[in-house]
Amino acid sequence: MSWVGLDKLNKLKERFDYVQINESDKGFHSVEVPKENFKDFLKFIKDNKDYQFKMFIDWTIIDHGAKADPRFQGVLILFSPEYKERIIVKTWATEETLPTLTDLWAGAKWAEREAWDMFGIRFEGHENLVRMFMWETYPYHPLRKDFPIQGYEEVELPSLNEEERADQLEGLQNYSRKHTALPTMQDLEITQKKRLPHKKSQIVLNWGPLHPGTHGTIWFLFDMEGEYVQQCDIIIGQLHRGVEKLAENLNVQQIIPYTDRMDYIASMNENHSVCIAAEKLLGIHEKIPPKAKYIRTMLAELSRINSHLLWLGTYALDLGALTMFLYTFREREKIMDIFEGISGARFTINYFRVGGVYADLPYGSLNAIEHFIKDFPTRLSDYETLLTRNRIWLKRNIGVGVITEEEVYSYGLTGAVARASGVPYDLRIIDKYDAYGEVKFDVPVGENGDAYDRYLVRIDEMKQSVRIIQQCIKELRKMSKNDPFFYQPEDKKMKITIDGRGTKLFKGEVYAGADNPRGELGVYIYMPKDGIKPYRFRLRSGAFYNLQIFPKLMIGRPIADAITILSTIDPVVGETDR
Amino acid sequence: MGIKKVGLNRNVEPQTLSEKVFFLDFMKGLKTTIKHLFRKVITVDFPFEVIEPAPRFRGVHGLRNVDGTERDDFDAWVKKLKIKPPEMGETRCIGCKFCQAACPVPEIFVIKTKKLDVPEDHPHHGLKVLDRFDMDLSKCMFCGLCTLACPTICIIHTDIYDLSTYTRRGWVLDKEMLSKIADDFIARRGKEKYDDKSNWPDWQKIWNDNDTARAKAWDNDPPQFGPNYIDQQ
Repeated sequence: MSWVGLDKLNKLKERFDYVQINESDKGFHSVEVPKENFKDFLKFIKDNKDYQFKMFIDWTIIDHGAKADPRFQGVLILFSPEYKERIIVKTWATEETLPTLTDLWAGAKWAEREAWDMFGIRFEGHENLVRMFMWETYPYHPLRKDFPIQGYEEVELPSLNEEERADQLEGLQNYSRKHTALPTMQDLEITQKKRLPHKKSQIVLNWGPLHPGTHGTIWFLFDMEGEYVQQCDIIIGQLHRGVEKLAENLNVQQIIPYTDRMDYIASMNENHSVCIAAEKLLGIHEKIPPKAKYIRTMLAELSRINSHLLWLGTYALDLGALTMFLYTFREREKIMDIFEGISGARFTINYFRVGGVYADLPYGSLNAIEHFIKDFPTRLSDYETLLTRNRIWLKRNIGVGVITEEEVYSYGLTGAVARASGVPYDLRIIDKYDAYGEVKFDVPVGENGDAYDRYLVRIDEMKQSVRIIQQCIKELRKMSKNDPFFYQPEDKKMKITIDGRGTKLFKGEVYAGADNPRGELGVYIYMPKDGIKPYRFRLRSGAFYNLQIFPKLMIGRPIADAITILSTIDPVVGETDR
Repeated sequence: MGIKKVGLNRNVEPQTLSEKVFFLDFMKGLKTTIKHLFRKVITVDFPFEVIEPAPRFRGVHGLRNVDGTERDDFDAWVKKLKIKPPEMGETRCIGCKFCQAACPVPEIFVIKTKKLDVPEDHPHHGLKVLDRFDMDLSKCMFCGLCTLACPTICIIHTDIYDLSTYTRRGWVLDKEMLSKIADDFIARRGKEKYDDKSNWPDWQKIWNDNDTARAKAWDNDPPQFGPNYIDQQ
């Protein structure tokens, strides 16, 4: 497991007497540092040769309830690319403030804005601490424990039907006319002005939120000088549904359908992350039946192909190649047919469970998958003939949106975006979750980190996925129909069920995740005691952190490059907003 | 397992001079598109042609009635929950509310049982029947957790996916409606999905292989189904 060892932590404790080690029997040790020494400690572990925790993963807050003092705790997760280890550093946010980490890791900028938005923690020294998802005049901090799950219903907002037909609707409506607060036009104007406080030129171009090129509801602000962008910012949150808040009131199997609706293009992979994290917290991940492991690996890779096909089609469509869109959607249809047959849904799948999968494969499913992957490489080469060496494609992509290796670490970029910049950061080989330790595949890595490399990396990932699926099918063919597909605990204290009733989580904390098509979806679960509902359920979204580099890449680029850069970063708004 | 470098000069050759001059890159692309031009149409002509959903498809819910294919422990469940033993054609629901407990959005369900109003010497005295079972499908995610929780395989998913109505009230289905939906589904496709003990059998197919509309979407070359595992028939 890719976690920092106790010996290294003890050395840290010897060096700094204020360091406190929280040991965990599952191996997820964390350190606690006082707020005053927090920055010095981080500088040390970032630069010291023996540690080199220079890659930013996540920075979030735990609310310990209104009675606790101090109430809020900051949780920082870092990764060391040198030693392939992760660490959790915690600190108490006394007086509801914390020092900013933006000078150490640029990726902390949005993380801190999110923490301010959701918990109301002020970060001293942050350059522009505005809200991340909600509008600027929103009065509450929703992820605090004293905020009710249904919100404060304080605005009367009758529907058009009610306005027109008034009380003739008796018996037709069964919902309340009271709604939680909604932003007005003035609120949005204030929000927009606060996001770009120092306007440089005459024109600010608004792109989105409802524009087909943004692939969702993202609102871009471009401060333009002629055709070139001087300054850029992004307003997201239009699709914010508060999955983390909802998850705090559900058991872990019930969270899985909600994660379907985050990255709705690769929902298998989203489910996978939650399953892995919960299984690691329960300590049963190694004991999952091999059949379930291979099924999950196979379907996760199929889902990766599905997601990359949608990316390829829309990306090419945005750059003017409509044909690609039609070709890739044809192949996607087959994958979704397979998903429909196996799990019962085409899009929001909810097939994986903590402990395995919910049902065995139906008759003929391996044949259908085999049939698909036999045909798929020829299709892929068709796509490559159309695009890879096409001169328009080369001109639009080469040298656009170059991301350096340092930026990958500083912004916490993951997935194909990181790999295209030459960082072989792939949880599939670092963590070897499920059957990834037993199948052979290569991790494609780019050189220049431009849009073209990101394109090549994703194309190659599809080829590798086909390889993985072939190996999984081979292994599954050897198994018996009576092999279990769901883990039966021997331990009496543990209870996990397929339908989720009574599924319990153990005390402790865990950070684990899966490598999704859009980067690492990490799940941080914090449990102060055994229980059904997770106390803090943090979803570290890969797309959210990947999107963060967009404003930086856009500076000095013409507006036409916005499409290329956004498409190759490939965010899905369901996941960025959660 | 290793690292594979990709890049313009690594696995992709840059354009040669002849390619640049004679526009060979465009020619190759056009060759591909022209090749695809002569393929058969793959789009399904909905609504004149409809793909039959897979047996496992998670569509609108239904409440199954007693039809002789209950699980062996059905009577034990009925006894445990003090429900009047159902006759043939009556609902299988025993009012255990497991579906509500498993549901991520429990307010979908309104489930109520009532005591039978019978004299003391009647054999059904003190037993209950299902009084109300309403589902508000406008709040439903169709995640399928309720159907997995049901101990009597009463609540099931059918293959109906078009559930638009003019008012929100139309999404609230009561127990008569749900029973009707399930009866209709079981009569049409029950044999494909359940064995004679209402379990999912291992011969349950990924989808119906005689479906011509789906075959069209698979380039008119649909996969031939066979067993998944070595000891499967």
